[in-house]
Amino acid sequence: MPGLFLLVAATGLGASIAFGPRCARLWLGLTLVGTAAALTAALGVLTGTPEWTWRSGFLVGGEALYFRLDGLSAWFLVLVSVVGGLGAVYSREYWSDAHNPASAPRGRAWWSALVLSMGLVLLCSNGLHFLIAWEIFALAAYFLITLDRAQRAVRTAGWVYLAASHAGTVCLFAFFGLLAAHTGGWELGPLRDPGELKPLFWLALAGFGVKAGLFPLHIWLPSAHANAPSHVSAIMSGVAIKMGIYGIIRFSGWLPVPATAGWVVMGLGAVSAVLGIAFALAQNDLKRLLAYCSVENIGIILVGLGAALLGRAQGNAAWGRLALAGALLHVWNHGAFKSLLFFGAGSVVQATGTREMSRLGGLWRALPWTTALFALGVLAVCGLPPLNGFVSEWLVYLGLFDAATQRAASVWAALPAAILLAMAGAMALAGFAKAAAVVFLGAPRTQAAERAQECGGLMRSPMLVLAGGCVILGLAPMLFWPTLARAVGSWNPNWTAGAAPAPLTALSAAQIAVALLAGGAGVWLWRKVRGNGLRRALTWDCGYAGPTARMQYTSASFAGIVTGWFGWLLQPERQLRRPRGPLPAAASEFVRVPETVLERVLGPVGTCVMRVSETALRLQQGRLQAYILYVLAGLIAMGMLVLLGGQP
Amino acid sequence: MSEYINLLIGIAMGLNLLALGSSRLPTLIMAVALQGMALGLMPLLMETEADWRLVLVALATVAGKGLLIPTLLRKAMRAAHIDREVEPFIGFVPSLLLGAGGTIAAVALARSLPLLPEHSGSLLVPGSLASVFTGFVLLIGRAKAISQVCGYLILENGIYLFGLLLIHYTPLMVEAGILLDVTVGVFIIGIIVDRIQRAFDSLDTRKLTALRE
Repeated sequence: MPGLFLLVAATGLGASIAFGPRCARLWLGLTLVGTAAALTAALGVLTGTPEWTWRSGFLVGGEALYFRLDGLSAWFLVLVSVVGGLGAVYSREYWSDAHNPASAPRGRAWWSALVLSMGLVLLCSNGLHFLIAWEIFALAAYFLITLDRAQRAVRTAGWVYLAASHAGTVCLFAFFGLLAAHTGGWELGPLRDPGELKPLFWLALAGFGVKAGLFPLHIWLPSAHANAPSHVSAIMSGVAIKMGIYGIIRFSGWLPVPATAGWVVMGLGAVSAVLGIAFALAQNDLKRLLAYCSVENIGIILVGLGAALLGRAQGNAAWGRLALAGALLHVWNHGAFKSLLFFGAGSVVQATGTREMSRLGGLWRALPWTTALFALGVLAVCGLPPLNGFVSEWLVYLGLFDAATQRAASVWAALPAAILLAMAGAMALAGFAKAAAVVFLGAPRTQAAERAQECGGLMRSPMLVLAGGCVILGLAPMLFWPTLARAVGSWNPNWTAGAAPAPLTALSAAQIAVALLAGGAGVWLWRKVRGNGLRRALTWDCGYAGPTARMQYTSASFAGIVTGWFGWLLQPERQLRRPRGPLPAAASEFVRVPETVLERVLGPVGTCVMRVSETALRLQQGRLQAYILYVLAGLIAMGMLVLLGGQP
Repeated sequence: MSEYINLLIGIAMGLNLLALGSSRLPTLIMAVALQGMALGLMPLLMETEADWRLVLVALATVAGKGLLIPTLLRKAMRAAHIDREVEPFIGFVPSLLLGAGGTIAAVALARSLPLLPEHSGSLLVPGSLASVFTGFVLLIGRAKAISQVCGYLILENGIYLFGLLLIHYTPLMVEAGILLDVTVGVFIIGIIVDRIQRAFDSLDTRKLTALRE
């Protein structure tokens, strides 16, 4: 049965690539049909249909096609199809033919190609075809990021993405090639025995880690997410980086892993969580802030996966199962609320024409829907009850706490990881308080912010669906436990059976109680305010006679203290012109946080390599005599080698 | 027989030094021609019973390397109105020193090579290595296309000398084929030199660097 739906999905998406550039309505219809069919197939596998495999005699690149849809790939396919469909709806208004006549048609085709290729990555069970799908996926994402390629920043972001992506793909080529050499075939599947395959896990971690945006490998992520159109940012951040996570989870489940893998993955996760959110706090660009927050959330997922690896290594402990369930649930949750937030940011960008938070402000009046939905996404991303972010982070915490109470070495991984995660959570709260307050509250800082207009229904409805998903996943996590258990079971068959853990049952009740309490308090507050009468005044008066909107806190000043703690890492660049004399003229302060890893580490290394290459280029003179000299020198050197090396 | 062969090779090695030290193109061409003739006679001395085909190939070599190729080169030189100066990158005295050093090194190297006993006394291997080295020095150290052709010919002579080690095993057709190749090569270079001269008003290879990318 899933096979039929997947066939419909592939046909629909394939046709929508063909029709996308010409007929926008047909494209939307076909994309929605395709993603809905894929969603049905994935949900079918998750809710009880047996794992679907299909082997064909048809050869591609000398290898027979082999597709497999098990619990784990179905779990990710749900995310791909939901965000793929909703983003298509959103883009009809956000990136319409009327506003972008040149890029909108090709944007539609690439969108379908991206969704289709991500689906293929999840289905392919042959290393060669996996690599082909992975490469199409990377290219489609590149063309979507650079839709607006007239801008220099967009082109630069595209190049950085493409280079980083291919650096990761090189690792994957090595990984799959060595795997095929060891096992004698390209077909993938569970493989437990050979211990000599263990070191290959590091290659997979590096290759998939680039796509996932682990901390030191995240260099492409902020600029690509910030400069892409918002619906593309949403699918990149919500879904595409999860393909990296899928790869790491998939191959740590199928292949044996080194003993230290759990420790390393957990450590990388904790570092990504804390440093990602530290960078997010320091950003002044709304979408860049959201992008760095994705690094943090990838960190949370990896901490959960690391705990699961440790748990599996220590005799399939139950806490490992909890942590993996948390990590997988966070994949869905982050996909939902981060897409919601990027859709909201897209609405802000469309209304005001800027992503610079210090040029916005007071948008809640003009954009009530966007404000409300963005606020809901903020509550979810901060991991506050009663929304979905809390559920998955709670599961990860539970796993870590249970691990910490064991008398085993894993205490020393679980305890620091839990502390760092809590720290990251607190900083996320600060960062999103800043984003929401500076963008939506206060008074408009510029004319553009004053004249903003609310987005239309095609942009609002995807946001509403995602917000609904956040609420349902938050209030009724019990509903999703069976599907989650199936995904966990396909990673480690020992963890298949078992009812929902007790804390989750308790959590559902608590979440509903919190929701009811919050709702009641909201109603009470609203009544009280209405009863006392509304008085509208400037938000930031501060006792001045003639206050202006520019007296408000800017985003940099809001986060000044916390970014100060991380000054050693962020290395902010400051340009300060102090006011001088009794009647000071113009004064200014400009703060910019560089991309530390890219500009301070990779930049100098790249310059060094270029310098060495330029020195080597001097050898190429164009003079025949010089080239003959090189040949002679090479001959003599080889002769010497033979003479000296040949004699015993 | 062996002393005659060594004498001829000694003459060839002396001509190497002459080629390195001469500052005028006609002298250089003459040195190459004489070397070619001396080497062309060698198969006759090495083979005890003179086959008519062997005589034919030897005569063809002498005629080709000693008469035909130098004539072609002189013709190209005259047609292209080339100055008779050689224009070295590496000066004549350093070239000579390099050539002498190379000859000594070749003798030393030949001693350390695992040769057949019948070849160990002869100058064949050192002479061939020294000629190859001289050819390289000329190719690297001279600016004019014609003098580079001369360097190439001396290099080829060195390879030919080395090939004589295998005279009992190599079919003469191969030797004849190589000779034909070299002659045709020089013939074509003579034409190209003329064309370069007409197109660029110069034969200085230092100026032919625009297409290096």
